[in-house]
Amino acid sequence: MNVLIVDDETPAREEIARLLSRVADVNIVGQCANAVEALSAINHLHPDVVFLDINMPQISGLELLGMLDPEEMPRVVFLTAYSEYALKAFEQDAYDYLLKPVDPARLDVTLQRLRRDSAPVADLAKLATPLRQIPCPGHQRVQLVKVEQVEYANSTGTGVFLVTTDGVEHFTELTLRTLEERTPMLRCHRQYLVNPEQIREIVFQELGGAEIVTHGDRRVPVSRRLLGELKEKLGFA
Amino acid sequence: MNPVALSLTLLQQTCVYLVVAYLLAGTRIFIPLMHVTIRLPQRTACYVVCSLFCIMGTYLGLHIDDSIAHTRTIGSVLGGVLGGPVVGLAVGLTGGLHRYSLGGSSALPCAIATVVGGLIGGGYHRYMIGRGKAATVFRPVPVALVTLVAIVVEMAILLLMLKAPANWHLVEQIAIPMGVANTLGAGMFMRILVDRRKLFERQSTVFSTKALAIAARVEGLLREGFDPDASARAARLVKVIQEESGVGAVAMTDTRQLVAFTGIGADHHLPGTVIESALTLQAIERNEVVYADGNEVPYRCSIPPKCSLASCLIIPLTDEENQVIGTIKLYEPRSRLFSNINRTLGEGIGRLLSNQILAGRYLRQREMLQQSEIKLLQAQINPHFLFNALNTLISVIRRDPERACTLVFSLSTFFRSNLKRPSEDARLIEELAHVSSYLEIEQARFGDRLQVEFDVPDRLQHVRLPAFSLQPVVENAIKHGTSQLLGIGRVRISARQDGNDLLLCVEDNAGLYKPPAEGNDGLGVNLVRRRIANRYGAGYGMDIECEPEVMTRVTLRLPFSPSEL
Repeated sequence: MNVLIVDDETPAREEIARLLSRVADVNIVGQCANAVEALSAINHLHPDVVFLDINMPQISGLELLGMLDPEEMPRVVFLTAYSEYALKAFEQDAYDYLLKPVDPARLDVTLQRLRRDSAPVADLAKLATPLRQIPCPGHQRVQLVKVEQVEYANSTGTGVFLVTTDGVEHFTELTLRTLEERTPMLRCHRQYLVNPEQIREIVFQELGGAEIVTHGDRRVPVSRRLLGELKEKLGFA
Repeated sequence: MNPVALSLTLLQQTCVYLVVAYLLAGTRIFIPLMHVTIRLPQRTACYVVCSLFCIMGTYLGLHIDDSIAHTRTIGSVLGGVLGGPVVGLAVGLTGGLHRYSLGGSSALPCAIATVVGGLIGGGYHRYMIGRGKAATVFRPVPVALVTLVAIVVEMAILLLMLKAPANWHLVEQIAIPMGVANTLGAGMFMRILVDRRKLFERQSTVFSTKALAIAARVEGLLREGFDPDASARAARLVKVIQEESGVGAVAMTDTRQLVAFTGIGADHHLPGTVIESALTLQAIERNEVVYADGNEVPYRCSIPPKCSLASCLIIPLTDEENQVIGTIKLYEPRSRLFSNINRTLGEGIGRLLSNQILAGRYLRQREMLQQSEIKLLQAQINPHFLFNALNTLISVIRRDPERACTLVFSLSTFFRSNLKRPSEDARLIEELAHVSSYLEIEQARFGDRLQVEFDVPDRLQHVRLPAFSLQPVVENAIKHGTSQLLGIGRVRISARQDGNDLLLCVEDNAGLYKPPAEGNDGLGVNLVRRRIANRYGAGYGMDIECEPEVMTRVTLRLPFSPSEL
């Protein structure tokens, strides 16, 4: 199985990597020091299993879960030194977690489970905490865009872009589907999500479609198919 | 009647007048007259009192032919002097109308003259206040002279209005006696007022001085609360009260027995004796001051019949629920009765002691609470930190055994510092060692992601400060600050002297400080803040500056206390 290690502390990464490297059927495909790197690595490397530290800077392990495409969710083994919240959530034993320092014997149990393919995948998203900010990798640095500052999201051939209230376009690795599920943004078009807080007006067009005008005076198309649903969600039928 | 005889008679009348004034001066009626009155209720009182004097002056006057040689002018002039032109006019009108109602050939001119007298007094008042000499308005001699002027004007009015020369003879007769009597009367009246005021002020000064002296000396004694078992403290306390108040003897009881006694009769008033005195039991039961002045309420010592203590003031002491927890008793021997002390002072002392008992209890509780909070904080070394440290250690052991040993030493130094009693002081160098041992581990955890810089001048290394003040602040800077950064975190720890203060600064480049919400966020730091503030008082404590996403700077300000070492 292909494994990705995500932990912000180098010694911790080294230790879990050392333990895993002794196991024959485990192949470590990468190591990441934070959630932003991890998001990109998961999207590109498609690991089978992610060993994920919960306590990380800016975006915690649990927040990262919410940024992953539910369709592409890898299996996750949580790492934590001590986290009441995590322990509470995991106590039902539905999810696998390892306490740091990692006991090799306990790790073997986890690996056995993974081989038996019993680690839950689909409902991992339940554990995810709400998305507060969306990582947008740029040159030299990662910008974390606050959800409430996004006017709309647009999926083009080259990827997903967020347009913020200042009119700036940010590339993000999150899919529209993830954004739709994890943020208050509403689907208004096959390629567009709009932040309802940012809608100034809806201009109806002759062919049954419509156009949303945002507070920043930008226009977002609304498809005929989704107009009714959108109106309902906004509270006017 | 010759002028001299008339003057004497009129002066006699004035004396009656002044006696009334003197008696009234002892009552509450006169309080508004004690100061230059500005407010309406006081002015009203001033108007009423002075009008009464006006009317009295008319009745006490001597009927000559069909006019009256009177001392009414005193009232109207004083009304103006004490209350200002408006009050003066009102008093003049009242007194004037009253005089007019009595009739006689000089009724109208006398009435007008009374009004004018009030206005003259008011003019003097206005003039003095205008020149910022409010305090000198009361001086007897100027007031006497103003009254003299008013009399002269009055005579002039009489001469003008009683056109018949036959009546001028009347004026000739009464002018000098009235001048003498009114001028002297007004002067003496002011004298009485000023004396009363002085007496009043001296009494309150004496009382407040006494009370303050007791307060100051008792302060420390009661800091530890009113605990009957602490008999030595109680003994010191009663001694202080006796010395400051000068009474014959002072006792302190709890609700059951005598706790301490000092002064006359100490030979048989022994601490530990069960309270038998009915008066004391009454004070405890009803929570009221009991005053046996040895006169109306006889006081007899309940122990031997030969005791010379003959008067007693019993003041209940109460706690925060206003429950009586004991009494303070002040005694005077038969020869003295209460001359040095009265009920008011006694009540004041009781209140003061009760308040201090509260303050003492409150402080002690607050301190205990803090101590236990800090102990708790230290006992529960952040588990997150602990397990991360152990995890790091495991990794380092494999990579670099030497470094791992250093880390174990750091860890043990850190734990040892944590076990220090927080009540103790530490030198800055020790605090820094504590911080360094902590940082050593964090650096191993975060590697290049954490850069720490110290800037502490050598000469400050031996300054003393409360133990356990610096580490929680540094831990906060890392836990809630730099460890939340994707990039490199920088922490700068610096110390400098600022006049008589020591400034300790912990700065990070995260700028993620959020004012602590509900809950335990920043518990350690809040404890540090409160501890410094409580220990050193206003002006000391913690100051947090934050530039979001750029930096957070926490500054501790402590008094600069170089170590004796």
